[in-house]
Amino acid sequence: MTAEAEVLGELRRLRARLPQLTGALAASADGLVLAHDTVDGAAESVAALTAAALGVGRRLTESTGQGGFRELLVRGEDGYVATYAAGGSAVLTLLAEPRINVGRLHLEARRSSTRIGELVDRALERRDLNRSATPRTTGPTPNPNPNP
Amino acid sequence: MSNVETALKDAASIDGAIGAALVDYTSGMALGTIGGGKELDLNVAAAGNTDVVRAKVRAMEMLNINEEIEDILITLGSQYHLIRLLKSRTSQGLFLYLALSKDRANLAMARHQLKKIEADLEV
Repeated sequence: MTAEAEVLGELRRLRARLPQLTGALAASADGLVLAHDTVDGAAESVAALTAAALGVGRRLTESTGQGGFRELLVRGEDGYVATYAAGGSAVLTLLAEPRINVGRLHLEARRSSTRIGELVDRALERRDLNRSATPRTTGPTPNPNPNP
Repeated sequence: MSNVETALKDAASIDGAIGAALVDYTSGMALGTIGGGKELDLNVAAAGNTDVVRAKVRAMEMLNINEEIEDILITLGSQYHLIRLLKSRTSQGLFLYLALSKDRANLAMARHQLKKIEADLEV
C-alpha cells in the first residue's frame, strides 16, 4: 500500500472515531496536501494556511522557550481548527464542530499524528534510499515536491 | 466556600479515593485533577466520561424526562466511579469525577462527602 493510501486510511479511522469532525487533512510542513478526507474543495488552501500558521506557531514556541511545535487549536464561532505536528515534516489538520469533546479530540489526534508522522517519515526515508540506489526510480511518495 | 484546588484535595481525602477531576463537559477538558497516576490517566477519564455525561443528557431528552442528573455511578469489579454534575449558576457544564477503590471505600459516605464538596465549591 502506498503511503498516501495509508495516511488516508488513518484519517478515515480518525473520523470514524470522532464523528464530530467535519474534515481531516494531512499536509507537508510546506503546505502541500498529502491526503484529505472531505475538506470539501478547500484542501489546498487549508493546507497552505496550515503551513503559514505552522510557521508562526513554530516561531512563537521557539522564541518563548517552549521548545518545538506540537499543536495549535483555533476556535471560531462555528467550530474548531486544530493542527498537530506529525513527525518531522508533516502536519495533521482537523476541522470540528463546536460541540466536539476537545479532550477526546486531543487524545485521538495526538495518537493519529504520531502514526501519520511515522508513515510519512518512513516513506521519505524509502524515497531517499531509492534515489541514492537507483536514480531512475520514481516510486509513489507521500510528498512529490517537498522543496519547490 | 472553596476553590478548585481545595475541592479536589477534599475529594482526594475521601476514603478509598484513587483520583478525582473537575471536568468541563462542554469541552471534555479537565479544569483540575488530583491523584490518578499510571493506573488511571485522569485526562483520558475526563474526555471519556464527558461522552458518558453527554450521552445520558441526550437519553433523558429523548425520554422526555425533564429532570436534572444529580450523579452517575459506575460500578466496576474493583472500583466505583462517581460522576457528580455541578448545579450552581457559576459551575454549569462541569462535573466532579471521583474514582474509588471498592474494598477501601464506603459508597454512601463518599456520595455524601462529594455532595458536600459540590455545595462548597465556587468556580
